[in-house]
Amino acid sequence: MSFDDETLMAYADGELAPDLRARVERAMRDDPQVAAAVERHRALRTDVFAAFAGVLDEPVPERLQPRAPQVQPHVRVDALASAGARPLPARWSWTQWGGMAACLVAGVLAGALGWQQVQGGAPFGRQGDALVARGELADALSRRLAADAPSGAVRLGASFAAKDGQYCRSFKLGSTAGLACREAGEWRIPVLAQEDKAEQGAYRQAGSAMPAAVLDAIDQRIAGASLDAEAERAARAGGWQRR
Amino acid sequence: MSDTLENDIAGLLPRLRRFARSITFHREDADDLVQIAVERALTRSEQWQPGTRLDSWMFRIVKNAWIDEVRSRSRRDQLFAPEEEGEHVGDDFAAAHQQRLAIEKAMSLLSEDHRLVIGLVLVDGLPYKEAAEVLEIPIGTLTSRLARAREALQELLSDRARNTK
Repeated sequence: MSFDDETLMAYADGELAPDLRARVERAMRDDPQVAAAVERHRALRTDVFAAFAGVLDEPVPERLQPRAPQVQPHVRVDALASAGARPLPARWSWTQWGGMAACLVAGVLAGALGWQQVQGGAPFGRQGDALVARGELADALSRRLAADAPSGAVRLGASFAAKDGQYCRSFKLGSTAGLACREAGEWRIPVLAQEDKAEQGAYRQAGSAMPAAVLDAIDQRIAGASLDAEAERAARAGGWQRR
Repeated sequence: MSDTLENDIAGLLPRLRRFARSITFHREDADDLVQIAVERALTRSEQWQPGTRLDSWMFRIVKNAWIDEVRSRSRRDQLFAPEEEGEHVGDDFAAAHQQRLAIEKAMSLLSEDHRLVIGLVLVDGLPYKEAAEVLEIPIGTLTSRLARAREALQELLSDRARNTK
């Protein structure tokens, strides 16, 4: 019995089901031409594989290593429109902290801004490699609604359901703005932006504006629209866990 | 979660580079292609479905990046220097080197479809099912395309063998 070339190729590639494989093997024993055809497929596979195999042993150039995406500051995002955010005034400038190691960010922020003194402890901590909310910030994220009257240092922006199933909320704390997403009982902070020192003070009262880095991070994650007051209340009632 | 994705992608880099080397014509283009693909993957990480094969997803991004971006500006004509290596055949190393050059050259002469399918199945060793997913074609199409690609490659290689005798 004879087989077409595609079947012999699939045999050489190890793609045949056991019964067909056995029949091909019988044909190979009985017919030298079948055996030779299979051997040609195998030899080509071996040669082509060998020609490129050396690439695996080469050192991988540093530039190819995956890094957290750099946010493009010029990207305009209107995801927060329903929560009252306005386009970022040009005179505001922010330094984004998102790509840095969590421990470094937490340490630098706590040191530079004197957050050890903030009531309730430092607002950022470290959980493995992630930066997480602590103290007053974590408390506000868990308990307060965006529509609540402002109290304390934390201002809450939009809440939304992310594409990967978490709830996320944007926030501002003094001259810092960020995004927090609820994961495994923690508020993880994938993006944090720090208002440049030189710009602090004069425009602080511009309150609800969020830096482009945070708006862009929201845009990348948001599934649908941001939560309205009622949906936000329901999310809080569910402990910010989505089913 | 995204930390894990970045680590997993980092672990795939050698294979991604090898695949890229098999479909581009130039070492630098291959690495440019991988770099672009990694950046795309990270900005679209929400499209990655945990539980599915990350390698297939990444290969698909490489393939798409090649077709719609890198290919048009590749340095195709710079790859093959005049075949000065043909002069000193003798030891095994030189013979293997010859073989490698011959295959790279033959690959570069294949059609785009054929080169992609060879790169996935023969160079990387992906099973047919995964290769078909990467190329977004039915498995029957993959099998017949692979058979034709092998035939074309075999032909190019034996032409060359005849010509260098």
